[in-house]
Amino acid sequence: MSGITLDTVRKEFGSGEEAVLAVEDVDLEIEDGEFLVLVGPSGCGKTTTLRCIAGLEDVTSGRILFGDRDVTEFRARERDVAMVFQNYALYPHMDVRDNIGFGLKLSTQQSAAEIDQQVEDVAAMLGISDLLDDKPKELSGGQQQRVALGRAIVRDPAAFLMDEPLSNLDAKLRSQMRTELQTLQHDLDVTTVYVTHDQTEAMAMGDRIAVMNDGRLQQVGTAEEVYRSPVNEFVADFIGSPSINVFDATVDGSRLDGPGGFTYHLSDASPVEGLDTVRVGIRPEDITLVDDGIPMVANVLEPMGNENFLYTTLGDHDITARIDPTKRPQPDETVEFAFEESALYLFDPDTGDALKTKDDGEIPDRGADTNARSSETDEALEEAVE
Amino acid sequence: MREETRREAVWQFLTYAFILLGAILTLVPLYWIFVASTLKESQFLSSTSPRLAPGDSFFANFQSLQARENVQFVGHVGEMTHYIDLGPFYIAYDFWNLWNMGAIESSIFVAGVYTLLSLLLCSMAGFAFAKYEFRFKKPIFYAILATLILPIQLLVIPLFLLMSQLGLTNNYWAIILPWAANPLGIFLMRQNMRSIPDALLESARMDGATEFQLFYKIALPTMKSSLAALSIILFLFQWNLFLFPLVILDQGKYTIPVAINQLVGAQRVYYDQIMVAATLSIIPIFILFLFLQKQFVSGILAGSVKE
Repeated sequence: MSGITLDTVRKEFGSGEEAVLAVEDVDLEIEDGEFLVLVGPSGCGKTTTLRCIAGLEDVTSGRILFGDRDVTEFRARERDVAMVFQNYALYPHMDVRDNIGFGLKLSTQQSAAEIDQQVEDVAAMLGISDLLDDKPKELSGGQQQRVALGRAIVRDPAAFLMDEPLSNLDAKLRSQMRTELQTLQHDLDVTTVYVTHDQTEAMAMGDRIAVMNDGRLQQVGTAEEVYRSPVNEFVADFIGSPSINVFDATVDGSRLDGPGGFTYHLSDASPVEGLDTVRVGIRPEDITLVDDGIPMVANVLEPMGNENFLYTTLGDHDITARIDPTKRPQPDETVEFAFEESALYLFDPDTGDALKTKDDGEIPDRGADTNARSSETDEALEEAVE
Repeated sequence: MREETRREAVWQFLTYAFILLGAILTLVPLYWIFVASTLKESQFLSSTSPRLAPGDSFFANFQSLQARENVQFVGHVGEMTHYIDLGPFYIAYDFWNLWNMGAIESSIFVAGVYTLLSLLLCSMAGFAFAKYEFRFKKPIFYAILATLILPIQLLVIPLFLLMSQLGLTNNYWAIILPWAANPLGIFLMRQNMRSIPDALLESARMDGATEFQLFYKIALPTMKSSLAALSIILFLFQWNLFLFPLVILDQGKYTIPVAINQLVGAQRVYYDQIMVAATLSIIPIFILFLFLQKQFVSGILAGSVKE
């Protein structure tokens, strides 16, 4: 087991004039045993980055290190990493037993009996012991997913690489597998790089999150860090559901004038000093409905039970607010809202860089032990270890 | 019955009727060859309408075929020329001479070796064209396809010269090697191997497979049905090869098509013997087809990747 270091990794597809830059000089240190999630919109270079780590793509420049070992020139099979693919990529002509044991057969000198024992241990850990003699096409999506995981786990690799492994599952199974994956990773304590476009998944699973856009690494941090202190408007917009509300405002001293009669007086105007305009951001949950605030027009109310999402219009801007479930404004009703200055985000209108982020208190410490552990998985793991 | 269901039923009926018609058109000539092989020549040549009931002259016709001097159709026991004399026992070690091969055995041997060799070469080439990037990939592929349009008549003389320079005249390799890398086979395997998901191969790479292991542990097993279909095509191609074997082989080594050609004499055509020979020549193909039939199941890639 080892950490993974990306040292100004650059990947271009094609060459010369037609070259497409997929990953631009990414520097990233992933600690030993860490669960790092690479997240970003489609085409942001996250999968390419993962494939570079896997050795399935050659890097154009830069280095990749596993621990102290420079593996940049190593082929995939020499890197001792296991990958779980989005579509599982099970060998269709082999049964589950052979699918899981294939890597061991190829890369170790172990006897057939030893391999079989390990396969059965892993299958027990994943709860697929009774499927060992089935072919992949006889399995459900969730079972195929487990086989794909088993194939990665059985090899006891230096790192797990996962490329959107849950995106083909239905919503319920996905959240179940999400927890199981976290537990597994925690128990196995193997460095894991996990790619997803789903920011909820990223927030929920990662020890740290690396947000990518346009081939560039935007920010690396814990879920709380990227949520509360995004480095730029992109990260602020991408992380969080529903998304942050952002609109333009003109700066007049310490006063911000936005759309639809939005006016706000900053007590501390230093972030906007020297700027004519600024991008103002407010998270939906920081909006409260009050009697004498900034007026906006309610459009749609989505009752979620424990909370309500209110979609409103402020001038020509859509604003989403997470409000108290007891409040149910009617469509076209004018509501008034307010927010704390500490919850306000300000972004540079040209560069998008954050000028001010949320500063309402300390970021709570997120220990590794907050991860849920399921007792069945623990037992199976202990058996496997023995 | 709903309108849609009825229309579907009509379509199904028409489809089956069409398939049945095709089957009849294909099978009737074969059946007639079989019937003719069981009749005396005069019986099927003189009648004005084709006779459909088999007669009883098959073995008589077969014997007259086997009795011919210019062609050995089915082989016979050979002379043991090399053996160790152990008193009451002989141990032959010159196995090749134990059986004098006739045209049928020659054809089976040649077509069999050719099929195996060509399957290997075509699937390897197909795999490379389908799954690897290399310089001049497209031009090379199109050049290979372009050779499909060259007629064999054009190739006979250069091939003959080449084979005689290689010392392969009157040698079975002379009719195996020139077509071993079959362009049609390469094309078919390339098309089929494109359907193998890249993730499957990458997954195997991550599992530690070498590039050759990818080919024979992942690609080939998933291509069983294509390989079965290609086997038939390749076997039949070699089985039917006529002009070049006629030119490069001597009488003792003739394959079936050339041997049958010997039954067309200067004075007369031995139709009865031709019919027997044709009937016999169908049998190995028929067996091969039965043997491979269960491999023609599609969807072997099902369940490999989740769409």
